[in-house]
Amino acid sequence: MDKLVEKRTVDMEVIGEWVEPHSTVLDLGCGRGELMAYLVQAKKIYATGVDLDFARISACVGRGLSAYQGDMTAFMRAFPDRHFDRIICSRTVHELDDPAEVILEALRVGITVTVGFVNHGFWKNRLDVLLRGRKVRNAVYTTSWHESRPANPLTIADFEDFCREKSIRIARRAHLLGDWRTPCPAAPNLLAGYALYDLARA
Amino acid sequence: MADDVQAPDEPATHLRHLAGDDVGIVRPRDFTHLGTFAFKSGQSIEGFTLRYETYGQLNATRDNAILICHALSGDHHCAGWHSASDAKPGWWNNLIGPGKAVDTRRFFVVCANVLGGCQGSTGPSSINPATGAPYGTRFPFVTIRDMVVAQKLLLDHLGVAELHAAIGGSMGGMTAMLFAIEFPVFTKRQIILASTANESAQAIAFNEVGRQAIMQDPAWNNGDYPREGGPRVGLAIARMMAHITYLSDAGMDRKFGRKKRESAGGESYTFDAQFEVESYLRHQGQSFINRFDANSYLYITRAIDQFDPARAHGSLERAFAPVQAESLVVGFTSDWLFPPEQNRAIALALLRSRKRASYAELDTDLGHDSFLLESAELYALLKGFLERSEAYVFDFAI
Repeated sequence: MDKLVEKRTVDMEVIGEWVEPHSTVLDLGCGRGELMAYLVQAKKIYATGVDLDFARISACVGRGLSAYQGDMTAFMRAFPDRHFDRIICSRTVHELDDPAEVILEALRVGITVTVGFVNHGFWKNRLDVLLRGRKVRNAVYTTSWHESRPANPLTIADFEDFCREKSIRIARRAHLLGDWRTPCPAAPNLLAGYALYDLARA
Repeated sequence: MADDVQAPDEPATHLRHLAGDDVGIVRPRDFTHLGTFAFKSGQSIEGFTLRYETYGQLNATRDNAILICHALSGDHHCAGWHSASDAKPGWWNNLIGPGKAVDTRRFFVVCANVLGGCQGSTGPSSINPATGAPYGTRFPFVTIRDMVVAQKLLLDHLGVAELHAAIGGSMGGMTAMLFAIEFPVFTKRQIILASTANESAQAIAFNEVGRQAIMQDPAWNNGDYPREGGPRVGLAIARMMAHITYLSDAGMDRKFGRKKRESAGGESYTFDAQFEVESYLRHQGQSFINRFDANSYLYITRAIDQFDPARAHGSLERAFAPVQAESLVVGFTSDWLFPPEQNRAIALALLRSRKRASYAELDTDLGHDSFLLESAELYALLKGFLERSEAYVFDFAI
């Protein structure tokens, strides 16, 4: 698990570099508030999180964070256009029932939308399927098909296609190699393990 | 709120009040304000009394006070025991005490019976000094704001410099909310449980049926009745009906189902109470008339119906504009009187007003009364909100 914990904090550090100090940030799928707590400390942001689970909300509240228990799309619908400076959807997008709806609604209520996801097109995953002929299993995809939550694994190419299709402007991107730390020099859909995007309306 | 759903299940023993996490034997006190008190309606009375209890100690900086705000039929006795022979402790004893979610070793807890009430505070059953008789319906109309202003005078009297938190369920949530709106610098935190920023037509309708049951009882006599008399039938019916709205279909089914009373025997063709739910409601009605004043019931339900800060300020966001308190709103899935959606609306309006607010929802089958739930999850949530350190230091070892 140590490796995963380390990777998680790398994700935070990249997002931390992108977040403007004192900005208003909404974290979709905020979990127990690790990212928000880090950003509140590092960037003095005004943070709100949304999650479905009572225990996670309770953990956020215990950390002094604002968190809302409920559906993220329904939550965003309750806010006017451009209410948030930034909406973060980190390592959540592949678990959504309707990712397009969430991202488009986030682009309405947020000025910038940060999406971070594990690149399913990473070469090791491809090799895994090619050689084993089975659902990918490794440190990131830890479960067998029958014990997995409903998920929508996506690749960097899938995501960029989506942005093009929906006329979403990609303001910034970060592709990291399999260590989730080293910048990926080329062929990200094959070589990058993790991808982060800053999106804005075109 | 229910009379006996919270009665502890443990066998009666004369030592219960000595439990280590209980505040023990407590006694109510009276605070009397001597000046003229002007109600929002424009009417006024010459002075008033609030009956209250406190647990724990006010600290040197006088900023560790927590105000507990009771619901419609609640009172100032929210924790501890009045005597060793009491059948049950204060109504929120499960929440308040040494080491509990509201920790009396750390906080100075204050709870007062509201203005307009009948448990020792000035209300329609009090004697009008001008006439020597009970006020009855000559008592000024009371609003939640009047209750809040009166309780602020009590807190000033107690030397409280700021409220660490105002906490309340149902009507108590409205009271806490108005504390945060009316005294924004004073109120540092608010916890609102199973409440609403404005009642639905359905909730007003239920209150109206309760009021009609009272007012259609000939013994109500336009509010003029002797202390021991009055519209006992009407008040009991009002209570029985209201009590149903505090529970849930699933909860009642679990507790009573179609169980029949032992004594009902095989005879079905009578109108005596046969089902357990019937005798339970009858008991609720009867025990209520022995402790509650019918006119207070009219006044307080009216105050709840009229509570509407959105209308008073133009919008809920505008009403919340001055709020400085950090807010925690808690809804309960089976509450159909003040349903989760209405609790969410409070949290969302606070967030739209760019306040720090959280919303959490507990899955229960106890209906509106769920806020009195004995739940480790609820305790942990409230304790975390009340006790967290101000500056969170990020720890990478997650």
